[in-house]
Amino acid sequence: MLRITNCQICAENWRINVPDIALANGELLVLTGPSGIGKSTLLHWLLGDTVEHVRVSGQISLNDKSLDHLKIEQRHIGLLMQDVHLFPHLTVRDNICFALPREAQWSSKRQRREKAQALLADIDLAHLALRYPAQLSGGERSRVGLIRALANQPQVLLMDEPFAALDPHTRQQISTWSLDKLSSEGVPAIMVSHDIGAIPANAQHLNLAQYHDYHSQGAN
Amino acid sequence: MATTIRRLSLSAAWLVVALVAGLPVVGVVLGLWPTVALTWADVNAFIAYNGLSESIANSLLTALVAPLLALYVAFMVYSQYRFSPRWQTLEKRLAPLLSLPHLAVALGLVYLFSSGGMVWDALWGLFGQPAPTHFGLERKSLITMILAISLKEIPFFLLIFSAIGRQLPIKSWLLQGRALGYSETTSWWLLVFPGALQQSRLALLAAMAYTVSVLDVSLLIGPNIPQLYAVLLYEWQTSFNHLAQAQAFMGNIVLLLMLGVLVALIYLHEFLILRRLTHHAVMGSPLPVTRFNRVFVVWLGFFSLLSVAVLTTFLLWSLGGDRQGTIDYSQFSLALWQQEWFFIQLPLLNSIMIALISSVLGVAITLLALELQRQRKHYMADHYWLLAILLPQLSMVYGWQIAHSSMAGSYQAAWIILAHLPFTFAYSYLVLRGPFQSLDRHYELVSASFGYRYWQQWWQVRIVLLRPALLIAWAMAFSVSIAQYIPTLMIGAGRVATITTEAVAVASGNEQSITALYMLVQSALPFLAFFVASILAQRIRGSFDAAHH
Repeated sequence: MLRITNCQICAENWRINVPDIALANGELLVLTGPSGIGKSTLLHWLLGDTVEHVRVSGQISLNDKSLDHLKIEQRHIGLLMQDVHLFPHLTVRDNICFALPREAQWSSKRQRREKAQALLADIDLAHLALRYPAQLSGGERSRVGLIRALANQPQVLLMDEPFAALDPHTRQQISTWSLDKLSSEGVPAIMVSHDIGAIPANAQHLNLAQYHDYHSQGAN
Repeated sequence: MATTIRRLSLSAAWLVVALVAGLPVVGVVLGLWPTVALTWADVNAFIAYNGLSESIANSLLTALVAPLLALYVAFMVYSQYRFSPRWQTLEKRLAPLLSLPHLAVALGLVYLFSSGGMVWDALWGLFGQPAPTHFGLERKSLITMILAISLKEIPFFLLIFSAIGRQLPIKSWLLQGRALGYSETTSWWLLVFPGALQQSRLALLAAMAYTVSVLDVSLLIGPNIPQLYAVLLYEWQTSFNHLAQAQAFMGNIVLLLMLGVLVALIYLHEFLILRRLTHHAVMGSPLPVTRFNRVFVVWLGFFSLLSVAVLTTFLLWSLGGDRQGTIDYSQFSLALWQQEWFFIQLPLLNSIMIALISSVLGVAITLLALELQRQRKHYMADHYWLLAILLPQLSMVYGWQIAHSSMAGSYQAAWIILAHLPFTFAYSYLVLRGPFQSLDRHYELVSASFGYRYWQQWWQVRIVLLRPALLIAWAMAFSVSIAQYIPTLMIGAGRVATITTEAVAVASGNEQSITALYMLVQSALPFLAFFVASILAQRIRGSFDAAHH
């Protein structure tokens, strides 16, 4: 269970009092709101990244364990951005190997590559294993990106408009496939989206604009 | 008629840029024709030359190790600075730090850290003791040479990484790496370094080509027995008996083969390192080297301090050095400056004149080359334009010297300016290409909508926006010309003295104080050029940044 409490995003002359959030395994929260309101900022704060231009405060806990003072690499929070940033010097298979946790059952190079190959086979992309990211289509890149993020066994997945760069037809397909995949893996996820019409019926929805409020300079 | 004139002027412009950019190849090719009839006895004498193989091995080792060392240190420095507030300061200081001549860094290290160097004197002096004579860097050795070259090349590689970094989504890669559970340092090595290394091939080749054929630094701080290969080759090239000429010809071919070996080693190194890094990426294991990265956060302070220390040492020696090779702080005087001023005036004037003309021409021809490519809507690969820094200088200047002699050319500054031009051109191209290509074309589009014609837009918009970058390119080209040794000496046959040729001549003797004086003047000129460029850049409108938005 992911909990976000007392969260506030403060800029020089506006602030957002984000309502408390509780997200169980496999649940999805969709964040919407106009550009520049702080959706991506909120994701970066959750991830543990440095946030510029605004101040974000609040508490984050995952399965009752506080994440507030942990570095990005210690939080076990996955990230999927619009450009999934597969690493260009690694093949698709090795991109997934890079994400696999360092666990005993995958301690040799052969075991790790077999596991990556199996993950690709699960989504019918085994034939792409030895290709480099530049050789993939947009849809293939998005699917490999999601598989790579899940291979890391994150406890939460953050998605920043992950399908926005795809054409409408592919976007619909990949989005349905990805959200089903996340739900079946039981990973709680938060997704930033501009497309209000594409919010799944069972997802929670938070429109940040509703909590946006102007205040005079200096006051908090 | 107008079309014919336009075609003719375009062809003439292409001819000019092709000649300047292609002059290095002309030199190398001309050097491949023997000037004397070769016999087997000449070949045997060359192979049997005392210490040849050791000399070649030492030169290859220096040319391989020093640039690679610089590349790795520069990457660690880059990874520590890139996303910190200190990056802006580093970017600002990079160009002036880069302009410090190789020779000044090399001799500065010797003055500071060799046995009897100022650092040890000062340290032991704190305890009232004389510094032990066996302690410190050797004045002439392979280690000193490697250390000096690698230290000097670090700012060069930082400049290269800074340019590469603008094209790679480094921040997102690092964020992905960290979100997948890797530390920031490990992410730098496993995710950023492979791309940076692949894109640094040309820079590595430039640094290696420079190191394998650098003469002044090899002569003054390289090992003596045997000498480094560049020194041997230069001696053959400047002796005019039959055997020496035959050896110069064969030596030149060996130098080009050495460059070929270095190119192969660049690829081999890249292959091995990428394989190793991919192994770590697949295994998800951190690299042991990442522990050292934090140390490099002090690099800017260290290098700035070193530069100031080098210049201060030269100043102190020029004021208080004596003929016994010691420095007497109680006897500071301007006597040496007054005495040397008479001798230094002409070389100083020559240096400034040659550097001014060749740098302005270099920048102008760079603009011409970039504009011609823009009009063709196709930019040629960098290596065609950077041949002057990718080929060994000794080979190309050897060919030029042959051509110059066969044309019975005079030993005048004009020939030296021509010999400097390919280098000032290549360095200005290196600096200007990025800003020129990435200048937002909307500025010109807007001015076109106001009725400005093509050349009016070019002059009143493009050039105005590029002025700060043009000034940096000019200062860089000026510094490059000031530090040129081989072309000045070989094409001028020693008859056109510059600060650099005089500095090397003086430094070959034992007069440490006079050497310091010349080195200080040699280092001051590039600093002055950058100082003038930065003052002008601040005063004029338009900025380098504007070129990137």
